Amino acid sequence: MHMHPSQRRTSRTRARCAAALTAAVLTALSLASAASAKVYIDINAPSSMSVPIIIPPFQNTGSEPDPGKLAAGMAAVISADLEFSGLFRIIDPKLLNAELLRGVTSNEIKWDSLSVVGAEAVVTGVFAVSANRVSVELRLFDAVQGRFIMGKKYSGTLNEHRLICHRFANEIFKELTGAPGIFETGIVFVMQAGGNKELYYCDYDGGNPRRLTTFNSLSLSPSVSPDGARVAFTSYRDGNPDLYVMNLAGGRSEKICNKKGINISPDWSPDGRKIALTLSPKDGNSEIFTLDVQRRTLERITNHWATDVSPSWSPDGRSMAFVSSRSGSPQIFMQTLADRSERRVTFGRGSYNTSPSWSPRGDRIAYAGLIDGSFNIHTIAPDGSQYRQITAGQGNNEDPSWSPDGRYITFSSNRTGRKEIYIMRADGTGQKKITIGSGDKTDPAWAPLPGN
Amino acid sequence: MQQTAKTLLVCLFIAALMGSVACSKKNPPPAALDTNAELQNADLGAGEFRSPADIDPALAAIFKNILFNYDEFSLTPQARAILDGIAGWLKNNPAKLVLIEGHCDERGTNEYNLALGDRRANSAKTYLTQLGIDGARIYTISYGEERPLDPGHSEAAWVKNRRGEFKIK
Repeated sequence: MHMHPSQRRTSRTRARCAAALTAAVLTALSLASAASAKVYIDINAPSSMSVPIIIPPFQNTGSEPDPGKLAAGMAAVISADLEFSGLFRIIDPKLLNAELLRGVTSNEIKWDSLSVVGAEAVVTGVFAVSANRVSVELRLFDAVQGRFIMGKKYSGTLNEHRLICHRFANEIFKELTGAPGIFETGIVFVMQAGGNKELYYCDYDGGNPRRLTTFNSLSLSPSVSPDGARVAFTSYRDGNPDLYVMNLAGGRSEKICNKKGINISPDWSPDGRKIALTLSPKDGNSEIFTLDVQRRTLERITNHWATDVSPSWSPDGRSMAFVSSRSGSPQIFMQTLADRSERRVTFGRGSYNTSPSWSPRGDRIAYAGLIDGSFNIHTIAPDGSQYRQITAGQGNNEDPSWSPDGRYITFSSNRTGRKEIYIMRADGTGQKKITIGSGDKTDPAWAPLPGN
Repeated sequence: MQQTAKTLLVCLFIAALMGSVACSKKNPPPAALDTNAELQNADLGAGEFRSPADIDPALAAIFKNILFNYDEFSLTPQARAILDGIAGWLKNNPAKLVLIEGHCDERGTNEYNLALGDRRANSAKTYLTQLGIDGARIYTISYGEERPLDPGHSEAAWVKNRRGEFKIK
């Protein structure tokens, strides 16, 4: 097996996956691309610069039959990843006769046909199934120049076929933009079952959902640590709304704060050492505190008679956004931690602005705001300028949480009549429901890749 | 502690410059690491709090839910009247403890409503202590919007759900 930078990510995922996924560069083919680290797409340019790409169904070259629509399914996962990124436009392979799409390598691909449908890039894949495992070869080509860009060979369990596709989508994203993709990240959310709410985890696109807690209680407001390893949340398991931390890779949870009153709305500091949270030490007057996760010591951040709740750290750890009712109705405020100076961020738009989430890039704060009777996601610069409404006209949209790269936002919406988890680009385009099944789903928290 | 000292020094310095003590007004120096005194661990005590009506149907007339206005935690005259009756019962039953649950309607954000429900429960607690009930006999908990009495999405449902509810043991 050939070592490659991508191997590092393989080791990270081992903690998450029952079986290790192996990957190898397609060495015979990768020589050409090794020299060119060219960035094809400027990700800061307007999204109209999307690259038209075609991903035909993969070819089964093994002796065993396709066990469950892997040929179309794997191509669809990569297509969905790239389309959601906003940097690619997917060309429907059905526009071409299947025979014209059978080529896998440079000399087999029908370049003229791809040109007819306007494809500027093409991904080809072949796979073979053996017992419970699948091996996959994936290649990315520049369809304009008819040139091989890069290829990878993966091997994993059948259950890992989506992970293989997400990983190659990340490779494509990295190759063409120079930036890491988010296609292997996940989302923690809350799902209602009867009178209880439990925490769940799924891939960023809703794949592979699994249950995290079995507290048979109300568990709420997850926040994932910056290293992607732990989740902090509130649960009524022992009666009071206390704060818990749980290992995401499975395993035990620990109650880390159980003060009288509420122990709610956790948010990990960027260095992972503290958790900002809301406590109500006196007469139910909620205040923001920080909790040192190791030492279990508390420091008071806000001190005001009004309700202060829902803190969100700035990515540099120097400031904190939070909700306060000090001006009458709930609004977004921020505090500069060094001198405790506080100022209001949201003015004049909506009488109920809550759930601030500070972008990992630092330049925007997303929040849920009530305008004309509906909650929608808005973003604003930390200085209160450059206000934008991101969702509109489709039910109530709440609980925004940024992707680790600050390019996307997950949120909850009741637009279908039930509360579900959605993802979208930071400008509000590409909105996509990622959860299915009965039970309201709320409180999504975008989880960084473990090990980052 | 270092930070407190630093903040204090800066404040003193500014205060000296300004010839006033106004700085603490603008940026109240935080009580750093105030883990003790006012931050007690949660403890709902041994034994289960139960609905008064489940213990004795006659109690339902005393322990009626108190209702709150939207996004408010102040007590209405009706709420005070109910609490007056509850205080009287607690005085006559000095061994009994009461749990006040603060609830909200579904509108608004879960986390904000958890804080609001906590204030509602504490408003009722404060009033009961003003009527002479020992605060040690009164427990509070907030459920925010998590435990609606009426699962509907109408004003009629919301009115019922913005409530303080009482359990005893």
